[in-house]
Amino acid sequence: MSAACEIRVGTCGYSYPEWVEAGFYPPGTRAADMLPLYARHFPVTELNFTWYQMPKAPALERMLRLAPPGFAFTAKLTRTLTHEVDPGQWRGQAALFREGISPLLEERRLLAVLLQFPASFVRDPASRLYLARLIEELEGLPLAVEFRHASWAEERVFRELERRRVTLAVLDVPPLPGLFPTVEAVTHPGLFYVRLHGRNARGWRSGNLQQQFDYDYAEPELRAWAEGPIPRLAARAARGVVVFNNHVRAQAARNALGLQRLLAASGLLPAPPPWSAASST
Amino acid sequence: MERSIIHLNVADFAAAVERTLDPRLAGRPLVIARPAAARATVFDMSEEAFREGVRKGMPLARALRLCPQARLLPPRPERYARAMRLLLEAALPYAPRVESGRADGHLFLDATGTRRLLGPPMDVAWRLRREVRDRLGLSPIWTLAPNKLVAKAASRLVKPEGEYIVAEGEEESFLAPLPLELIPGLERRDLAALGAFRLRRAGEVAALALEELRILCGERAAFLHEAVRGIDPSPVRAAGDPAPEVGGEERFDGETADEGELFAAAARLAERAGAELRRLRLAARRLRVSLRYADGGSAHRRVPLLSPTADDFLLRDAVRRAAAAAWRRRVRLRGLALACEGLVFPPAQLTLFPDAGAPGKGRPRLMAAVDRVRRRFGEEALRVAAALPPRAA
Repeated sequence: MSAACEIRVGTCGYSYPEWVEAGFYPPGTRAADMLPLYARHFPVTELNFTWYQMPKAPALERMLRLAPPGFAFTAKLTRTLTHEVDPGQWRGQAALFREGISPLLEERRLLAVLLQFPASFVRDPASRLYLARLIEELEGLPLAVEFRHASWAEERVFRELERRRVTLAVLDVPPLPGLFPTVEAVTHPGLFYVRLHGRNARGWRSGNLQQQFDYDYAEPELRAWAEGPIPRLAARAARGVVVFNNHVRAQAARNALGLQRLLAASGLLPAPPPWSAASST
Repeated sequence: MERSIIHLNVADFAAAVERTLDPRLAGRPLVIARPAAARATVFDMSEEAFREGVRKGMPLARALRLCPQARLLPPRPERYARAMRLLLEAALPYAPRVESGRADGHLFLDATGTRRLLGPPMDVAWRLRREVRDRLGLSPIWTLAPNKLVAKAASRLVKPEGEYIVAEGEEESFLAPLPLELIPGLERRDLAALGAFRLRRAGEVAALALEELRILCGERAAFLHEAVRGIDPSPVRAAGDPAPEVGGEERFDGETADEGELFAAAARLAERAGAELRRLRLAARRLRVSLRYADGGSAHRRVPLLSPTADDFLLRDAVRRAAAAAWRRRVRLRGLALACEGLVFPPAQLTLFPDAGAPGKGRPRLMAAVDRVRRRFGEEALRVAAALPPRAA
């Protein structure tokens, strides 16, 4: 079963000028050239800007033209549907999102829309109702949900996600009280989704992304994921996405390459696709 | 060096500020104008009134015919200036360079190279918007682009609210489908010249070679060629930097009582100011014209321009009008000075009222030829006759 699972490893976002300084992109790489270079190493990326900006179909179509065949995307749901919800307007926002993201869906390049909720999104009747309505409103899109608050770590929640065929994001986060823990649950047989945020406990609540996501996974930590949770998740899902969010100084890219090597060594990843870079920097 | 320029824009600024002070104004058409004035014009309006056809600068009577249900408020510039100051103060911690215009709700932030300190520019823009909303009750548009021109075009595209990110390298393809009216810096005469050839979108103009564009638009071709491709090297001026001064002075040899000589001086001043404004990619809203009398006295006139411009010809006519109006005493003149005021990033041009005085096809070609000669042989090699003293002409 595990051999049949198609696992893709990548990073949260790819457009980071500091990754040039950090050596992941060649010196002088311009933002416009980053996606093709990124795609030589990784078969998937998680689009971050769709959280800040309602996706616009023409922009995504331009981006698609830069990605090689077979390269896939996941996209964060826009903040007006997760962090800044206006009760009177969110349905309209959901319609706009659906429209904006459509090029990825039509091209069969969209593996998941990530509904990432803030730590303030606590499991209470209002939140549960909103989540249910949101999932209905986004019907037809491949959905994954990331909770940050521990109150959602409940068997009943997982069962409900399973019933609605929504993927639960499996997290690696610092061991801080109140944070949603690592739960190895597969709630959708079509897709598992792992997000590795780093374990910078001190920076996590700094309010500064540069500190929150400043972490370098050590080899044993990556090995633990490659040999434990990932094969177990892969045994229960047809596809899997594993993304690193510790983007500071290109640590995410380095760690993702390291994880790819480990997974390939244990036969969980197929041979690199032909367009992949031969080197293993 | 790749740049990250954030444009923060509170649409319909005056109306938005009034609404923070009186929430009952929300959701209703709002027109800001001084009703007592004999020939009142619209100072600003809300989006609802805009949708009914109300425009800035439109005669109030016409605005109220278009939108009779509008709530009318007198302009309170000191309020808008205060809100603008608070907006600027909110923005200052978010970038080393923040450029603020007059009290119009526009800010540019240069977030280039600040990622390590402040995080990704889009996150900076989003946090700033949130702070402005929480602290000031205003709901600005934010856009992020590699330069001011593209950031501003993106703001115009999403107006009245929203956000837009244009990545480096995407400038031209982003602008291509947009109507030319949305490209900052294009003037009414550019739209007229291009519209005559059914060129309506940036991409259609970008398909022309510079030489072809020169045939259509004369001396404006170089600017247009860059603008429709989203090229704009102009810097974000730091807050507190004084606005650049554009203007100059002409002294008459001896003294003069000759209106022709005065007009020639006006034309020379306008030509120089126009060139400087275009170089800075700015446009003037008002001109201040000063006459120096031979007896040491002086007279000043301020004239508003119909819409902000950097057009030599429009500037020249305005300087002449102002100079003629200022010359009230029967005293000879010693000099003429011009200061361009209210310098703004050039506004969007509306084609609602086609300009009867729009230049014909011949003039841009002539100007292009003049420019070429001047570049080669110097400024004085050729002069527009109007800029010559009457005896020499």
